[in-house]
Amino acid sequence: MSNAHVSVRDALYEAPGPKTRRRTAIGTGIALAAIAFLAVGVVRQFYITGQLDSKYWSIFTKSTTWKFLGQGIAGTLEVALTAGVITFGLGFLLMLGRISDSKVVRGIATALVEFTRGVPTLLFLYFFFLVVPQFGLTLPSFWKITLPVAISACGVVAEVFRSGVKAVPKGQREAALSIGMSKSHVFLKVVFPQAIRYVIPALLSELVIVVKDTTFAYVVTFPDLMQNAKVLISNYDALLSVYLVVAVIYILINYLLNRASDFAARRRNRTLMAAQQNGNKGV
Amino acid sequence: MGVTELLSQYGDKYIQALFTTWKLTALAFAIAFVIGVLVTVMRVSPLKPLRVVGDIYVHIFRNIPGASLLIILVYALPYLNVVWSYFTCVLIAVSLIPAAFCSEYLMAGINTIDIGQIEAARSIGMTFTQVISKVVIPQALRASVLPLTNLLVATMLTTALASQVPLNPRDLTGLVAHINTHAVGGITAFVISAALYCATAVVIGQIGNRIDRKVRILR
Repeated sequence: MSNAHVSVRDALYEAPGPKTRRRTAIGTGIALAAIAFLAVGVVRQFYITGQLDSKYWSIFTKSTTWKFLGQGIAGTLEVALTAGVITFGLGFLLMLGRISDSKVVRGIATALVEFTRGVPTLLFLYFFFLVVPQFGLTLPSFWKITLPVAISACGVVAEVFRSGVKAVPKGQREAALSIGMSKSHVFLKVVFPQAIRYVIPALLSELVIVVKDTTFAYVVTFPDLMQNAKVLISNYDALLSVYLVVAVIYILINYLLNRASDFAARRRNRTLMAAQQNGNKGV
Repeated sequence: MGVTELLSQYGDKYIQALFTTWKLTALAFAIAFVIGVLVTVMRVSPLKPLRVVGDIYVHIFRNIPGASLLIILVYALPYLNVVWSYFTCVLIAVSLIPAAFCSEYLMAGINTIDIGQIEAARSIGMTFTQVISKVVIPQALRASVLPLTNLLVATMLTTALASQVPLNPRDLTGLVAHINTHAVGGITAFVISAALYCATAVVIGQIGNRIDRKVRILR
């Protein structure tokens, strides 16, 4: 298709004539005015409640503040990356169970996937925070936040992996089997490496969910970004400004992850299309 | 503590908690859907400022952690003389976030529509509003049933945020935290709540699959 780059968003209207252009200009003006009105309202509310006072915002010019927040971000990333590695491992195992030849293994894996996908992270967190200690097992706070975050994501990761395995053309597996490779060899050397390439974008999006879930670290008082924000607030008595800045930091981290995911998806689609075109030429 | 003992002591609390979770989920999903449709219309509208605002909305609420948003609503907004009840704060937090995802799914649904259809609709003289409401939205909705089903389950999981504020009656997660801090509920209290969440998720999934089979447009 020659106009493949035209999105539906662009196709909804043609190049406007003079009348439409005038109407669009008026509409744009009204929309801008409405947005400006709302923005002014918000800023005014900040002003009349005294929240624009420099004492609330000057703390962000101090290097100590950013050092402390930086330590928090490091804590957040530490939990997120560890949980990410664990959840990819668990997800891989669950996926193996889901595609196993044994009916029993498949059943167990399916039940575990449904269980982890159907239970909120916070409930897993309270399990590790309140229930596990009742059995006399006290984990460090790092694991009390990392394990529930990893477990609650692993079911989705397993399904993502499985969709990747399903996307690998059947001929690949058949060809590998026909040259005498063992079944496990075929899976590990031929199918899975290709499956990974299909699912990298989805895995990156899943990391966004992992980062978001790490914010519950304050429940177990692990010093992540949110917990350090709380300490800052009690030191400087600047609640609103600190929580807003912290929210923006979280949004930026996740925005970058989403951008990386989109970038990976575009690259993958380009490679796939190129491969398809070569295939059509009968190379 | 055994199951029977736990249920005799907390049975009615569990039922209340289940209904709180269901109520929050249903309300939040309805609000999220309405906001999601509005934001999507803004994002495809010919007015640039509206497009930008729609895109910014999605970027903010798709990426903000629920806990961060809830804390701002509950603890920070009172500094701006905006005070809402705990229930309202939870409801707003668990609506705004799914709304951003709802808009993303609807945009994806819109992009499955053949551009020829829109050109055809325009060529017979339909206005933008007509094209959107008669051609684009109905088809986008049909293509978005499965993503929206997953979104409903995700909304339910998000409502566990309610456990972070004192809510009466509590939700399913808040109840487990409550039982385990006041008595020794152990693993049973956790398993009952988890089972109720899972059962709800499975039922939602089944209904979604059925609707999807009925309305999906095979291309």
